[in-house]
Amino acid sequence: MSIPYEYYIVLSGLLMVLGLIGIIVRKNIITVLISTELMLNSVNIAFVAFDMKLHDVAGQIFVFFILTIAAAEAAVGLGLIVAIYRLKKDVDVEKLTELKL
Amino acid sequence: MDLNALAFWTFSTLAVLSAIYVVFGKNIVYTVLALVSTLIMVSGLFFTLGAELVGALQILIYAVAIVVFYVLVISTVPEYKGKTVDGKYMLLSIPFGFILFLELAYVALYGAWQSATGIFDERVINEIGNSKAIGTLLFTKYLFPFEVASLILLVAMIGAIIIGRKKEDVHQEA
Repeated sequence: MSIPYEYYIVLSGLLMVLGLIGIIVRKNIITVLISTELMLNSVNIAFVAFDMKLHDVAGQIFVFFILTIAAAEAAVGLGLIVAIYRLKKDVDVEKLTELKL
Repeated sequence: MDLNALAFWTFSTLAVLSAIYVVFGKNIVYTVLALVSTLIMVSGLFFTLGAELVGALQILIYAVAIVVFYVLVISTVPEYKGKTVDGKYMLLSIPFGFILFLELAYVALYGAWQSATGIFDERVINEIGNSKAIGTLLFTKYLFPFEVASLILLVAMIGAIIIGRKKEDVHQEA
């Protein structure tokens, strides 16, 4: 193993920050969900890297559960987007101000 | 530079470049394709780490199954005509995100990592293999969370069907 495990954690942090910036700056609500997937993936990298460093497999089991939750989140979130589009005919986050006074 | 280091640098560079396109790209179809590229590169990183089961599942579940959801919804919702990114948030979030990344990188590189030991030590994992160790732990210690995960998938499926259903169907039933 020539690459230190710390580099994988740095890469995980970079992807996490990119996903966070995507959630903040994006205006289309579908791409906000896509940025969420990026953040979930960065956590997966960190889990597997720590696992390999500590010689454990529990982190990889949590990667399974993250995959499951990501699938559930994508299904429900995209169902919500379709419902929002039917209601408002728009997917812009700035236009979804129903609760605003 | 050996092959593992070369693979790491290739995969990580491509993953970061694709992720930048995911965040800032204009065309939403290309954005999803960039997401697929990122996911495949992350899977390659799992293979370089030696986690072959997770890497295969990453391609099977993420890059195939979940991305299909996004493509379906993008084809349902008409093309988005507005601005791609919001300028006033961009001004604030990019310096903040950069500082956050520096902080995370500092902690990752120079943090005091306590090397605890897992349930299996290195000798056992080398003997029975990574996939077998994961399977053993998944179906013994984590059996109940595994069943709960299947229940969550069922609930998400029913919820997505009910939320995404057209209004007319509800009136017809009532």
